[in-house]
Amino acid sequence: MEVTSVVQLDQTKAKDECLNLSLRPLQVSDVDDFMVWASDEKVTRFCTWEPYTNKEDGLNYIKNKVVPHPWFRAICVDDRPVGAISVSANSGNDKCRGELGYVLASKYWGKGIVTRAVKMVVDTIFVEWPHLERLEALVDVENVGSQRVLEKAGFQREGVLRKYFILKGRSRDMVMFSLLSTDYQS
Amino acid sequence: MEVDLSKITLRPFKLEDADDFLLFAGDDQVTNYLRWQTLNSKQEALDHIKDVCIPHPWRRSICIDNCSIGFISIFPFSGEEHRFKANIGYGVAVKYWGHGIATKALKMAVPQFFADFPDVVRLEAFIDAQNLGSQRVVEKTGFQKEGMLRKYAYMKGKLRDMFIYSFLSTDLPANP
Repeated sequence: MEVTSVVQLDQTKAKDECLNLSLRPLQVSDVDDFMVWASDEKVTRFCTWEPYTNKEDGLNYIKNKVVPHPWFRAICVDDRPVGAISVSANSGNDKCRGELGYVLASKYWGKGIVTRAVKMVVDTIFVEWPHLERLEALVDVENVGSQRVLEKAGFQREGVLRKYFILKGRSRDMVMFSLLSTDYQS
Repeated sequence: MEVDLSKITLRPFKLEDADDFLLFAGDDQVTNYLRWQTLNSKQEALDHIKDVCIPHPWRRSICIDNCSIGFISIFPFSGEEHRFKANIGYGVAVKYWGHGIATKALKMAVPQFFADFPDVVRLEAFIDAQNLGSQRVVEKTGFQKEGMLRKYAYMKGKLRDMFIYSFLSTDLPANP
């Protein structure tokens, strides 16, 4: 019985690594796929926003926030959006810095998808934005899964920022991670 | 020069401070790690006091015998999401370095600020990795070093590594 489970686990792992993953812009026509993860409270637990409850709000989000965003991509499995990944831009003295964020439908958790997506972003963002020196990410201290993603993707943990953020009314400690363009080149 | 730290006081800036203000704000050594451009004239000092110091949410002159020898500036972030946080900056005239004045002034300022802004929970300081003097000041004041942010921002045209420090309202000693 145990031997059989081990074999199945290995097969599943091999299958996960073969998942056809791609990044592309998220469009208004993707709203139904968007609603799958955006309405899931497991997914929004560490997000600043509450789960979406109606398609109208989803459409407005895609039209008003996603489409004009400096860098926003849908994470796609077999060309269907299952999550999203984005890099924010800053101006002036902070132009060297961009913040990474990502979200994934819970059905797809545990397969290494976000780690792969982050690596795909890292492979392209420093080329697309030559002024970018530092890609950073802030992760709730309790969001261990997300911390592991960044560690596996080669980010460096810089420290814990105490009560850095207010999430849904509570102050949270956040772990700061960064990847420099020079880290990536070496 | 002997400095009696009990003579250090904090107060809002006045236009009459312009000459004294220029002594430190016109000095590259003081403004080196600040975002300000070094001031060049008494008129610029007057303008800065009128346009920046006086309307500022929390800026104080560090004084000896009521004479301005430096400043402390604490800026709460704006916006609903961020107003629980604030950022601190300060500077002291070079002539007065090395006497513990900045530390004394900060130790006075921090509890005053939290009392004036009860919504603020986190006070943070970004200190250039090379600014050892300032790192010592905030550490002696009781700020906690959280980490080094590599290539965090440009300061006067150069990309800088910065230490991030914080002092939380809960770090204040309990009232005796």
